Amino acid sequence: MPLRRLFAITSILFFVVLAISPLKNALRPYRSIQREYARLGAARAKSQKVAEAYQARPVSIQQIWLPGLQNRVDRCMTCHLGAQDETMAGAPGVYRLHSRSFHTPKDFDRFGCTSCHGGQGLATLEEDAHGMAENAGTPMTPLPFIESGCGRCHLGEQVNGAAILTRGRMLMEKAGCFACHLVKGHEGFRSEAPPLESVALKTGGEALKRWLKDPKGLDGNASMPNFRLSDQDIEALTHFIFNTAPSKALADKVREAGAEKAGDAINGKKIFAEARCISCHTVEGKGNGSAPELSKVASRATQPWMLAYLRDPHAFNPRTRMPQFGFSAADTRDVVAYMVAEFKDFDAPPGMLDPVHVNQTLAEKGQKLFRLLGCTACHAASGEPDRIGPELNRIGDKRAASLDFGKRKDLKHTLPTWLQAKLEDPRSLGTGLKMPVYGLSPTDTQAVVTALLAYGAEPVPAQYQPVPAVRASLVPGGTVGALFDRYRCLSCHQIGDKGGDISTAPLTAEGSKVKKDWVIDYLVMSYTIRPILTDRMPVFRMTKAEATILAEAFETFYLDPSIPEDPFAGQPATSRDPIEGRHIFDTLGCKACHILGEKGGYFGPPLNEAGRRLKPGWTYTWLKGPQKWRADVRCPNYGLTDADALKLTSFLQTQVQKPAALKTAKGGGR
Amino acid sequence: MSSLTLSTLTAWVRNSAVYRSIIRHGVADTNRNRSLVIFENLFLHVHPVKVREKTLKFTHTFWLGGITMVATFVLFATGILLMFYYHPSVPQAYRDMKELMFVVDNGVFYRNMHRWAAHLMVLGAMLHMLRVFYHRAYRPPRQFNWVVGVVLLLITLLLSYTGYLLPWDQLAFWGVSVGTNMAKEAPLIGKPLRFLLLGGNIVSENALLRFYVLHCVVLPAVLMLFISVHIWRIRKDGGVQGPPEKDPGEEVEP
Amino acid sequence: MSQTPQTFAPVESSDPMVVPKRVAMVRPDTRPTIRRREEKWVMTFPHLIIREVIMFMLVVIGLAVVALLFNAPLEGLANPLETPNPSKAPWYFLGLQELLHYFPPVVAGVVIPGLVVVALVVIPYARINLVAGPLWSGDRKRLTTGITAVTGVLVILFSTFQCWAIVVPSLIVAAAMFLARSEGSGGSFRRFLALVTLPEWVMTWFVLVAAILTIIGTFFRGPGWSLVWPWNMYPPA
Repeated sequence: MPLRRLFAITSILFFVVLAISPLKNALRPYRSIQREYARLGAARAKSQKVAEAYQARPVSIQQIWLPGLQNRVDRCMTCHLGAQDETMAGAPGVYRLHSRSFHTPKDFDRFGCTSCHGGQGLATLEEDAHGMAENAGTPMTPLPFIESGCGRCHLGEQVNGAAILTRGRMLMEKAGCFACHLVKGHEGFRSEAPPLESVALKTGGEALKRWLKDPKGLDGNASMPNFRLSDQDIEALTHFIFNTAPSKALADKVREAGAEKAGDAINGKKIFAEARCISCHTVEGKGNGSAPELSKVASRATQPWMLAYLRDPHAFNPRTRMPQFGFSAADTRDVVAYMVAEFKDFDAPPGMLDPVHVNQTLAEKGQKLFRLLGCTACHAASGEPDRIGPELNRIGDKRAASLDFGKRKDLKHTLPTWLQAKLEDPRSLGTGLKMPVYGLSPTDTQAVVTALLAYGAEPVPAQYQPVPAVRASLVPGGTVGALFDRYRCLSCHQIGDKGGDISTAPLTAEGSKVKKDWVIDYLVMSYTIRPILTDRMPVFRMTKAEATILAEAFETFYLDPSIPEDPFAGQPATSRDPIEGRHIFDTLGCKACHILGEKGGYFGPPLNEAGRRLKPGWTYTWLKGPQKWRADVRCPNYGLTDADALKLTSFLQTQVQKPAALKTAKGGGR
Repeated sequence: MSSLTLSTLTAWVRNSAVYRSIIRHGVADTNRNRSLVIFENLFLHVHPVKVREKTLKFTHTFWLGGITMVATFVLFATGILLMFYYHPSVPQAYRDMKELMFVVDNGVFYRNMHRWAAHLMVLGAMLHMLRVFYHRAYRPPRQFNWVVGVVLLLITLLLSYTGYLLPWDQLAFWGVSVGTNMAKEAPLIGKPLRFLLLGGNIVSENALLRFYVLHCVVLPAVLMLFISVHIWRIRKDGGVQGPPEKDPGEEVEP
Repeated sequence: MSQTPQTFAPVESSDPMVVPKRVAMVRPDTRPTIRRREEKWVMTFPHLIIREVIMFMLVVIGLAVVALLFNAPLEGLANPLETPNPSKAPWYFLGLQELLHYFPPVVAGVVIPGLVVVALVVIPYARINLVAGPLWSGDRKRLTTGITAVTGVLVILFSTFQCWAIVVPSLIVAAAMFLARSEGSGGSFRRFLALVTLPEWVMTWFVLVAAILTIIGTFFRGPGWSLVWPWNMYPPA
């Protein structure tokens, strides 16, 4: 009978279908993984007792619950049971021990897993947990970008042990990302690109067009990206730029400079080398590379402009990192004469530096283009930059579903791939996009993507943010501030959490570190402290008065209270024994890196003048823990006792020889 | 001693005092006992003892009301199970969804059943209404039951809509935002009504709590009430009404 | 599903204790339909009950299979700062949301749904719904002008809002109504059309419009409520 048969069939089906879900539940993969883990653990165990403990493990969901860290629940260890288990070192696949780093495997209970790796901690199936499922929320961070996890808590520029992240953050600052994109903590960023008004004074029509076509092609150190402009657009922009009137003061400076007679190129060459221009600039690839390449500069900038600029760079570009040197008028003439003679593009056609006869229609078109392309974000003379890019504060947690992959069918739909594509070839993701091409190398792209992925949607609670290792930056105003500004100390040196990374000597505790008389001498006529470094302090031709003001400022502002003024105070007299100190010096093998007398290594600074240069408190504190000052310091921490450190200090204080350079110094004549 | 077979066991159960106190009639093999099955059972007594044979045909009603009813049963059953795991708070509500999916035994199954049954209920109620209309089954004496049906459709939509917010995901949040923005446009009462419904001017945790109470307490209670009336009226109005009679002469009106 | 005499044998007897008789008490003010010819009746248990149980199980099986195969959608955590484009209401409201695209919110969000509910409620009380004569059984000339006028007004009204999703089905239904006019001739479909009543035409028009609007709103509306193909629904912002 069909109805009864139908009833029978549906009844059976009914129970079968309803049994599927409980069955699936009973056969969850983690159960077999846990059993296999127990078997593996028992096999690897060193003692019978441990092996039995492995076998007695109940099969259950494991989790780390962190109520204080965004109420995180990470169940990753339900499958990754061996992550913390030393027995599992070298075990296959999912069972293996977590690799070692600053926080792993010891800090799992503090941070869980997803705070670094991303993914869905709540899940217990691989597909869900690793975020491969659609709409999974947070997919796992691919391993090349794993340091973005560090950056979620470590908000500073420098993150020790996270070289990729640190590089990414440095590159973002250098490339000027924050000029177009608002990012918390970088609201005050201003690009050091020259204000538009002075460009027409500096260069010529043809040179400017070549520059706009491909800035990095002309100058590998250029921070200006390639906007992939068409020839018509370049023409319009050139007309606009030459239509922008420079201020009268600047125009006068250049005109006056143009009227001067030519200088002595041979003397100029000497000054160029003495002033250590290549501590920042490069000439034919030699040099630090943080400032423009100069080998063909005379074909891009006019002679009068170079002369006027060298005399007062901050008038032309208030935001430049270039210090103002104390050259005499004749000195600058000589330097420029040398540059014009030598630093030339000999293949360039004549007339590169001829100004443009402005066509008003083109100029107006260029003005629109200038605004549309967002050029003002970097080239604005003053005021709030026109940030045309979207803000990046939550970019690291943006869902892949809300990203526009446009025409790119070759990409996996994940956030890191999208960011990578956006950095490599921004315009390929759609039409009408404005972001220019930065021409980053693959490793630099990886670094920047890592830095971007660290901008999470939810701020990490305060107790998870590390206490900043460096103090907030302090730069006084007044005369001292003006000197800091004139010589652009912060372009190379760090003070607190600000400053450039060209110098290895932060000024934060300079007053506690060096002796005043030495600083004055050094500022007037700087010399090489660490022979291994190629980037050296320029010779600014500072006056003795200026140097004294700065030295006094160091003594006043840049002190570290943890450094004792006199480390020997209250210590037994034996601690002042330089002979014992010499003995320790030899025993530790300090000569491997430091020169003392005639011989020694080149890695560290020579110590012949240590007693003239360094304060004893500093030397003592340094010896007790060199890494306290910069984490990348190579000087080993020998774990010296107080007495030994003091003995060594007292020995070093006896080394007061003047370096050769200083003996012949003429002093700061201006 | 007779061997223990299935039939002797069933006979023993059937003759036990406990069984007889619950099931008060014999095996349904006579029409009397078959009638008693219907009479004596709270749940079956909504049915008449006898039905016209032609109403059993599938095309008579397409079983649309019944299907909607089954969906309602499924929704009640799975809904109660889901309530054990759900907190109407932000952002715990969303996390509860994830917990249901990831670790609760059969959680994802219950949630899926609830979701799809909800769609089936809305669709079933709509199709049921169309079937009744085209079969002209709203005609006297069934006018009032038609109105009850319209109310039931509205309650169904409200139930589905209030449930839509509870997962607190993007879909829920923006779906409800769009919907309640429409309500805002009603003259005079629109804005106060929206404020009352959401417990504020935007979709927030207050709205979630209100929608939760409406979805799990108020609307199901009202739904049950109206379903009872609806089914009771079917009995009172002479059973299910299929397609209109081909030959009008078969029907008379007194 | 035919019943089988072997198992559920009908018991023929005049004893009311064996075969209960149906007694109808008819008061003049109630109007249950009384049939002249007595029909065939069957016992609710088991004939109806077994069908109900099978139906119950089939629906649950269907739902369970769907639930096992397809996961209910769950997107990211609600984020008031990130508006998905398009943001859509649940499917049964997408017809209304589609109307929002054409009409001012007060019309699409309040007036039209209000009218629909009122229209649904009054159906059994309106005389025209109770008469149930075929459309063209009345005054043909008046009907022709009436239908033409109403269709014309609707088409002009909705055309001014460029709401072609309503104009086109309106025209189709009107055309079908006139197609039903030529009775007698034509195949079985035409004969079927000729029997359709006016309320049925109106309901068909409503269902058609609602279905088309809902389908457009669900499958063919992308960012900024622009027309897209379903496979381009979320070209993300």
